Amino acid sequence: MQLRPGLLGAAAAAMLGAPEAAPAETTWDVDAATLLYSEFDGRVSGIESRLRGGRELDDIRQLSLGATVDVLVGASPNGALPADAPQTFSRPSGKGDYTTQAGDLPLDDTFQDTRLALDVAYLHTLDVLRAKATGFISAEYDYLSIALGGVIARDFNLRNTTVSLGINVAQDTLDPVGGPPKALSIMPAPGQPTGRTVRTLEKQVHDLLLSLTQVLSAQSLLQVSYSMSHARGYLTDPYKVLSVVDGQGAPLRYAYEGRPDRRLKQAVYAQYKQLTAGANVLDTSARLMRDDWGLQSLTLDVSFRFNFRPDRYLEPHLRWYRQSAADFYRLALFDGEETALRFATSDQRLGRFDAITLGLKYGGRLRSGNDWNIRLEGYTQIAEIAGLSAQAAQALAARAIEPELDAVMLSAGYRFRWTP
Amino acid sequence: MKRGRHPMLNRTAVGAGLVMLLGGCAPVQPWQRGDLAREDMQLISDRAQAAFEDHAYFSKEGSSGGRGFGGGGCGCN
Repeated sequence: MQLRPGLLGAAAAAMLGAPEAAPAETTWDVDAATLLYSEFDGRVSGIESRLRGGRELDDIRQLSLGATVDVLVGASPNGALPADAPQTFSRPSGKGDYTTQAGDLPLDDTFQDTRLALDVAYLHTLDVLRAKATGFISAEYDYLSIALGGVIARDFNLRNTTVSLGINVAQDTLDPVGGPPKALSIMPAPGQPTGRTVRTLEKQVHDLLLSLTQVLSAQSLLQVSYSMSHARGYLTDPYKVLSVVDGQGAPLRYAYEGRPDRRLKQAVYAQYKQLTAGANVLDTSARLMRDDWGLQSLTLDVSFRFNFRPDRYLEPHLRWYRQSAADFYRLALFDGEETALRFATSDQRLGRFDAITLGLKYGGRLRSGNDWNIRLEGYTQIAEIAGLSAQAAQALAARAIEPELDAVMLSAGYRFRWTP
Repeated sequence: MKRGRHPMLNRTAVGAGLVMLLGGCAPVQPWQRGDLAREDMQLISDRAQAAFEDHAYFSKEGSSGGRGFGGGGCGCN
């Protein structure tokens, strides 16, 4: 069976089951897939397409090339709370404004983005040792990321055990529209000068990943990984604000968010796969993550691939996720807090919530040997109010301000062999 | 019958189980690897799907990484 080369974790797994290297050929394994993503209530929608090709250069070397394009449109929460009266916000550029009606969640309706990403991976095999080098570049109109990585893996114990060590270094540059606002500074009234200077900002991310993959039996395997990610530089979202409210919960003004310029994330991840009844595959995983911003999370994921025919399968999927809020998460600020705090964000991605994903995938193999699949998933976040001072909590007590997010994801994929 | 167990016993049992799993299992021989070589038995059996998931969750949640690098490479977080 032809094994597709994988990145990192997949590489470790492939190594365990890799047959003797096949003769060099000029045939590419091509993987084409598209995702449609849509949030409810007129928020973000997007389409993401990915094309990847991999081929063997010779007995010991493999190459893969990939390209991703995604286009996002719609409206994104700007971080402010709904209010009893219409709210008007300056646009990030400082030119123009937009108004949110009473009772509605403020959304920045100019949110749109097109991103192009390219990736390359080169795998070299030397008996029980494998080395992989990766490169990645992603560009959007206000963001550029370039990354280089490497993975070394070694098999032991008749290839039943694989240990791998990977590192990745990313250099990102940001050019926020209108320039970066000062942390917790007040959003100027529409039409007023922003006082900001347009400039380029930087961010570096260093990642380390250590994995152990163990074959447990002829039908099961386990992988355990530890990962560490250190980011430094501009980690703030320059387009997000917080409402500063009075004793009745009404917005007085809006303060731009601010985050620390360093973040260290650590995660432990375990994945277990089991072939059952000779045909079906149980895939379970768990991840524990914590960072030095005070955020902790637990992710549990289970899917079951039911191969009900040799060329057809159904795969239900359930994912449960819980995270605590970052130390500086504030759903809103009370009058005066913006001058006392060093950092604050109302970005729900750093708030406290549970999330559930429920999905079903249907796929199969054609007579030609090509694979296809289609998957529909629903995603919902159930948030809890967090990070309010006692005064702000009292002022906002009677309001329904829990952040909400519901989305659907529809994806389709097709894999085939292509000989130029 | 008493159903409670001492926490130390549980920890010992888990530890012993891990040792048995990781060190005590008989090696699977190369000719027994047919099932492990199946495409749907690879740890990441659908890379495009995994990439979509990583991107979607990275842009909507505060966590990332675990099975691969924490990643990012976009302005979505």
